This record gives sequence, C-alpha cells and structure tokens, in this order.
Amino acid sequence: MLLRQWARRPGRAAATIASVAVAVGAVVATWVSADASRTGYRRLTEAVEGFPTVDVAARGGGRFDAQKLPSLADIPGVRAVVPLFYRPTLLRVGERRVREVAVGVAAQTLTELGLMKLSAGRPCVSFEEVVLEESLAESLGLGLGDEILFFARRRIERMTVVGLAERSSISWFAETSGVIVDIRVLGEMSRSLGSLDRARVVLKGEATRQQALKAIRKRLPESLLAEIPVGRASMAEDVLHSADLGLDFVTGLTVAMAWFIVGNAMLMNVTERRRGFSLMRLLGATGRQVRRLVVLEAALLGLVGAILGAGIGLLAAGPISAGISRALQAPPGEQLLVQPLVLPVSIALGVLVAMAAAWWPAQEATDVDLLEGLASAPQPPARGTPWKFIVAVGLLTLLAVLNQALVLTEVFPPRAAVPGGMTLLLAFVATTPILLPPIARLLAQLIPRRFRVETTLAVEQILRQPVRTALTTGVLVVAVTNGIGLGHAIRDNVDDVLGWYSRMMRADWVLTHAGMISAAGSAEGLDSGSAETEVRELQGIDRVEGIGIATGRLAGSACVVVARDMTPGDPLPLEPVGLSADELRAALERGEVAAGTVLARRTGIKPGDEVPVEVFGRTTNVTVAGLVIDYTSGGSSLHLTRAAARRLFGMNKADLLLITAPEGQAERLREPLGRIADEHAMLLRSFGDVRAFVDRIVQGVVGSLWAILGLGFVVGSLGVANTVTMNVLEKRRTLGLLRAVGMTRGQVTRMVVIESLLLGAAGGLIGLFGGVTTALFIQLASQPLLGHPIQASFRPDVVAVNLIAAVAITAIAAWLPARRAAGLDLLESISAE
Amino acid sequence: MSILQAEQLTKTFETGGDATKVAAVGGVDFSVAKGEFVAITGASGSGKSTLLHMLGGITRPSSGRVVLEDVDLATLDDDALALIRRRRIGFIFQRYNLLPELSLLENVALPLVLDGKGEAACDAAARKALEAVGMAARSGHRPDELSGGEQQRGAIARALVTEPAIVLADEPTGALDSANSARVIELLQELVHGQHQTVVMVTHDPDSAAAADRTISMRDGLIFSDTAAGAGVS
Repeated sequence: MLLRQWARRPGRAAATIASVAVAVGAVVATWVSADASRTGYRRLTEAVEGFPTVDVAARGGGRFDAQKLPSLADIPGVRAVVPLFYRPTLLRVGERRVREVAVGVAAQTLTELGLMKLSAGRPCVSFEEVVLEESLAESLGLGLGDEILFFARRRIERMTVVGLAERSSISWFAETSGVIVDIRVLGEMSRSLGSLDRARVVLKGEATRQQALKAIRKRLPESLLAEIPVGRASMAEDVLHSADLGLDFVTGLTVAMAWFIVGNAMLMNVTERRRGFSLMRLLGATGRQVRRLVVLEAALLGLVGAILGAGIGLLAAGPISAGISRALQAPPGEQLLVQPLVLPVSIALGVLVAMAAAWWPAQEATDVDLLEGLASAPQPPARGTPWKFIVAVGLLTLLAVLNQALVLTEVFPPRAAVPGGMTLLLAFVATTPILLPPIARLLAQLIPRRFRVETTLAVEQILRQPVRTALTTGVLVVAVTNGIGLGHAIRDNVDDVLGWYSRMMRADWVLTHAGMISAAGSAEGLDSGSAETEVRELQGIDRVEGIGIATGRLAGSACVVVARDMTPGDPLPLEPVGLSADELRAALERGEVAAGTVLARRTGIKPGDEVPVEVFGRTTNVTVAGLVIDYTSGGSSLHLTRAAARRLFGMNKADLLLITAPEGQAERLREPLGRIADEHAMLLRSFGDVRAFVDRIVQGVVGSLWAILGLGFVVGSLGVANTVTMNVLEKRRTLGLLRAVGMTRGQVTRMVVIESLLLGAAGGLIGLFGGVTTALFIQLASQPLLGHPIQASFRPDVVAVNLIAAVAITAIAAWLPARRAAGLDLLESISAE
Repeated sequence: MSILQAEQLTKTFETGGDATKVAAVGGVDFSVAKGEFVAITGASGSGKSTLLHMLGGITRPSSGRVVLEDVDLATLDDDALALIRRRRIGFIFQRYNLLPELSLLENVALPLVLDGKGEAACDAAARKALEAVGMAARSGHRPDELSGGEQQRGAIARALVTEPAIVLADEPTGALDSANSARVIELLQELVHGQHQTVVMVTHDPDSAAAADRTISMRDGLIFSDTAAGAGVS
C-alpha cells in the first residue's frame, strides 16, 4: 500500500526523502568537518607548543629525587614519562662564549619514541656527546663532529656534536633552549645524579589533560605535585578554547536544524493525507494501524533519505575539510577522517527523528473526528493567544538561564553551556508562533504597495499554519542564530586575544635568547644584559623595552613572572580589571604586582592581598595591586616592573627585548640588531614575523568556523527550499482556487516568493535576537576558563551578512517552488484532495 | 442578444500509459443570451463539467472556440484569461471552494482584492453581495463555522461580487440537502429574473434543471437536446 501511495504521489515521497537526506547530510558534513577542525587545531597546537603534557615537580620548588617518582606510564592516556634535568651552562666555541640552559634528557629513548627528531646524526648517549638544535648550531657555525667546551660546576668537558635536532620536535621539553645532553651525563656533571627538575608526562593526542592530571595526582607522594606546564606557549590553546566550544555548538545546532527540517517534512507529509487516513478508518482500520503505517513509512523514507544523506554529507565534507585544513595550514595529504560512529549514528538519527516526527501528526490525524477528517479541506487551526508556546518559551528560558548560572558558578563544567545554549535556542524557535504574526504583518508594510494583493494573501498563508510556519522559520532561526551568535563570539574572542597581543608586543623588532625561559628556576639568569646595553647604545632607536621572564610559584600554584620596563608616558602594556591604568601603573611603580585573571581565579587571590611568591628559590611577600587580562601562559602570570623584580627576586636580565624604531626606519635596524644577535647567540625576529605567526593561528581558526557556518546556511537554504516545495504541493488546491477566481501566474509566483521573503526576514529577526543571546552565552561560558569577561560587541557587518543571507536564501529557495505553483494545472489543482 | 458562444468545441484527454485519446467533448455549438438561465445536464462522464470549464477559461479546448462578450478566449494568454475569470466570470463550485483561513467576507472580497481594489471598496462590495444572498449576518465567520448551504450562498456571493457578465455553476446543489438546494436554486433564479444576470449551471438533478429557462442535455460529449422551458426539443 505504501509503495502504491509513493507511486501515486512520487513528488511528495521524494520531497520527504530529500528532507531527511539534507538533514542527515548536514549532520554528517558538520560532524566530519568539526572533526577535521579539531584535528587541525590539535596539529596547530602541537606545532606551537609540542605535545599535550602534564608536569610532575617538587612541591615547594627545587629538584627532587628520581626514586620518589612513581610509575605513571600505565595511566590511561599517558604516552611517555620524560624525566628532565636543566642546567645553566657556558659553552665555548672557539673564542666565543655562549650562555645556555642545557637540557638533560634520555635522548636515545625520545628519538626511538619519535618524540624528538634529528635532522642529522644520532642521539647523545654518553659523556663527550651533545645534540644541538639545528638553528643554534648554524648560528654558532657548528656541524656534526665539531667540538665545544662545556663548563659545568667547576668542571670543563670537551663534547662532540653528534646530532642536530629539529626545533619543532624539542620545543615541548627544551622550551627555547638548544643544548641537549644525556640526563645521566648532565646529572653527574652537575653532581646531582638521580635528581630531576621535573618529569614531563606526554599524553596521547585524544587524552584530556584534566583527566590525566587527576589520575597522575592520585599516584604522587605528598612531596610531588602535578600541574599543567606554565612555561609553554599555551596561547594557541586559549584561542582555540572558544572555537572548540563553538564547534560543539555548531554540531548541536546542525542536529537541531536537521530535526526541524525532518519534522516539518513529516508534518506536511502526514497532515496532507489526513483525508486518506480518515477514509481508512472509515473502512475499519484502527487508529493504531494507521499510526503504525505512518511510522513504518517514516522509517522507510527516513532510511532511504538517511543513506542518501550520509553519502551527500561525506561528499560535502571532503572539500570543506580540505578547506579547513588549508585554512589551518595543516599538513596536506591527510585522508578524510571519518570516525566510525559518524555514519551509523547519523543514519540512526535520521530514521529515529523521521519516525518521531511522523508520530505526532499521525496521532493528530487519527484523533480527529471521522467526518471532519473526511472533509475536503482540513480546518485551519484556531487563532488566538498561543498559550502552550508561551509556557514552552518560559520553561525553556528558565532552564537555559539556570544551566548558565550553574556554569558560571562552576558547578557545571564550561562544556555544559552547549546544551544550555541549545535549550535557549529552542526557546527562541518556540517564540516563532507567538512573534511571527506581528512580525509578518509589520514586515508586510515594507513591501511596495503595488504588491499589496500578493502580500495580503502571503501574510494570510503564513498565519494559516502557525506550527508548520514556525518549523520552517525554525530552520532559518537556527541558521541565523548560528551565524550571528558564533560570528560575534569568535570575533570578540579573537579581538580579545589580538588586543592583548597588540598591547604586549608593540615593537618593530623582537630579540630573544635561545633559552628564553629560566626553566630551572636559577638565579643566574641569562646573559643578555650586555646585548641590552649594546642595543640601547645603538643609534636610531626610539624605544627599548626589556622583559624578564621566570617561572615561579604563587600560593603553591605555578606561574610565570613577567618583569617589564614600563616607561612613563608610554601606554601601559597591561589591561587592568576593576582599576584604571593610571592606578595600576602607580601601584606597580610602588613595587606591587598585577596578577593574571586566570591565576587569580585558580589561587583565589584578590587585589590588596599580600601573597608569598617564590622565584629562583627565593620566597618574597608581594602585594597584589590588581588583576589584568592576560594570555601569557594561559593567564597564569604575575606582572611587575623590572626594578621591582630586581629588588624582590634578583631578576636582573631581560630575556626578551622589544625594540621600536622611529616611524618608517625599522628596516635600518636590521643589520645592527642582526649583528648583536649573532654575537650573543640570540634570535632576531621582526614584529611582522611574530604577528604573522599569531595571525596564522587566528585566521585558521576563524576560517574553519566560517566554513562550517557557511555549511549551516547551505543546509538552511536546502531545508527552506524543500519546505516551500512541500508547502506548494500541499496548497495546490488553494492555489488552484485562487487561479480560478482570477489570480494571474505572476501573482501566484510573487505571492509564494513574498511569503518566503517574509518568513526569511522574520526568521532572520528572531535569529538576530537568538544570535546575540547565544554569543553572550558562549562568552559567559568562556569566562570561568579565561578568568575574565570578554567584551561583548554588536557587529553590524555580521548581522547584515546573516540577515541578507537569510532573506536571499529564502528568495532563491522559493523561486522554483513559486514557478511550480504558478504552473500548476488549474483543473487538477481545484480537484486535489 | 448572445453573450456567450461555443463554436465546434472539442476536448480530448490522453489517458493511461498508452496515451489513448478520449473525447470528453466532441464538437459542441450553442450560444447563451444575456439574462438567460441555462442548465446543462447529463449523466456522469457526459462531458458537461468539461464543457463548463472550457466556457469559463479554466481549461482550454482542443479545438473550436469560446467567445464571451465578443472576446475569443482562445486568443488570450494565461494572464489575460485570468483577468477575464476575475472580472467577467463568476464561478460556483460543488464543494464551495472557500478558503478555510479567510472569513466569509474576505472570501467574497477575494476577486476584488486580486484586482487591486481598495480595502473599503472591497469591503462594501462584499457586504452588498452577502446581503443579496442573505448572509450578511455571517460575514465574520470562517467557512468551517458555516453549514454547507451557508457556504454555498457565500460562494454565490463571491461569484457575484465583481458583477460578472456570466455566472458558471458546477453542480451547485450537489453537496446540499433538498431544502438548501431549493434555496440556492431560488437565489439563482432571483439573479436571472431580478437582476438580469446570465447563469449557466451544470447539474444532474432534474429538479434543479427544471428551474432553468433552458436545458441542454449532453450524452457522450455531444449535445443530445437543447430545450427551452415549456418548449420542445431543438
């Protein structure tokens, strides 16, 4: 019987299958693309900061006995445990002397595990052997087989360069140091054999750091602690945090959109045949039999559509994923990554949603009075205040707000914001039957008077079926909410990071030492002092800012101490929270410190607190002047002036020099600065290079998210096109009647297009409010992680692009169905059931 | 004075997968004078409804022509035909064909709205038409709130609202009980005799046909008889 019905009305069956295919295709494409984004992000993060790791260190600082380190390798998610030993040393190469931090590590094992890559030679395994980072070796003019003198604690060792390491493969444990020695050799040379500075636990790609951290902490004795490394460039991870939340949200929204598309198709498919079902009941079929027939049909159509959609989704995901990989500059040639669950879950989702979506209208169709059901035209729904939608909106909003409050108070994790946001989105869609009539009437006023007839009739058509219209509009509401919400959230987040970066890094040139961070916690520091003096003596320099960086500990929590020249008259390179820049500057000049918001949140410190800070093994009480928005080491940072750092912690040297030339004369400094860099084995980079690196990360993330958002719009347009087509099919009797009483084909076309435009504009407007609220939701959800609120903004360009896209796709989507409506055979249309 | 002429009208349909041609109307000639009440009768499948649809420009003839007020409908394009249907022809259907989402007043005003008339003019004309069929009191109701007879009277009002040259009624009493049928036929007679309206009605009900001034009987797509009231077969 089903087959005969499909054969009789192939258009209806095809449109239903197309709806399911579009919906399932969207889910598959979004899922696969989101995975491609996550993989790209992970690669990008690895490129910036190496592998995801957890550090084990002595509680209270200093070294610890390797014997105290329990076995951690069997913890799920752990790839390797890497003991590390750092030793500041002096290298002598010919007549040149270079201060460096030597890193003691089991080089042979790391190479075998693929955690360190050598571009030439072999790993160091014994005394008299050293591996150098390739660019350091090049700057020192060294190659394989060359010898250097290695000064360590009253001992001089002659060592041969046996290997050259790739920078990107050692940065995860060597920071920016470039001298690698076997850990036993370095320990013995330092007379600290058996001691470790830390053990870095390398995690597998799919492991989450927080879970691993928890498991490792359980194993450690009281004297050891586990923490996320702070000396690493985790900025990329912070940039990606909101993007990751965004991806979760986009995937959830696509599922919601799929539900609306399938739900709408099924609603129309079943409602349209109400008379036929009543006839079956008249002939003796029970309501249950009819419902079973409808659900079985939905399952079959859903299955065919879902299988087709899975194929379409995979086809669509290919170019989108490739585009995302390009945007993220991930290594090319990777195969399309499709998780095993993607296809079965998406297909099952399509079938189940189709069945569920068919059940409700089937129930309605079989509950209706038999004679009423047999009437030629179904009765339109009663007009009046849609109380059930008002109640639904209230309840959903309440749930969403409650969820968000629990996320903000950290009772729920930040990821819980995603279902909260979805609930809020449903609330917005549920407002559609309430808001659509007034919005449609209002928007109708904007349509030129010469289309008054078509507009009047279009508005009537919209108001005729509020639930169905709400489902059609729901697809657009979701797409626009998606676009506006994520567009704002992403750009606000990126602006926040870029704003911070611009404040922190305003210079033409950046001069850094190879071993920038004093990872060993040594007071000896790094000898860039003479380099700084030379730079300051150069002609044609506008400003030199020195920045000293050291790892430290505040109230037992690891942090990075940033000591910086803060020249009076120059803008403060920090963004204070809760106090003015002048107040903070005055406090910093008094010797107080500013804490990053994340550090403050983690340790519970507040402005005005006096807290013990340990740097280079020296603990000093400092006063917290205020909090600052900062992304250095994920916001776990403490800022103070260099004068205060010198007095409080003995931090004398600058690890980083920011050099600014008078306007337009930056290039003149390249040669003299390059010479100083060579003399002191330092790295010179133009600010453009540094900025380009950051921009690459940011653009990649933004580009990938826009690609997925674009996919959402394409799906939305297909969904709307299909819905409008089904709408036309269902209304052909009405259209036929209008034609019979004198409506021209042009009027029919215009009426259908105007109807769609009104739906598009109304969906866009409701989506606008949904989008702005969603953006606030995402930003609020990020707050616990970032420790500070992100400045929310209203971006007319994002709004305009989304609204224009919503109206344009509905107009385009409506054109073919409208032409079809105009071309309907008059006689057949009038006679249609 | 003749207001409508049908000249050698034919209509053939292709049916089934083998494209068999079936002649629904096989060459019909007749004319209708202004103010005349014509009933077209015949058994089911005799071609009477197809003939009516051709007369009203709902479907185009396979050959022959329909001339309404000296305008050959075959020469008109779709839009011009729509304008003729809107302004010069009033339709009454068996199943009323009122739009369920509109009130009775809005349904009646629909042809004027389509013609771009002002709201006040549409409203006034629709009320006048509803008064003429005795339905003014029910103007605010939607079709599902009206009985079959009331809906059909509303449909008659809609057919009259543009003051058309001719009213074409397709089985207007087909879905009504005898009392409502009688009321509808009385209304049509009043139109013809009171307002000098021209009405062509398709019916298979002999009582309804008997109310007409003239009865055209059809059989197998051809006119079998054409009888004036009180006169012999022509």
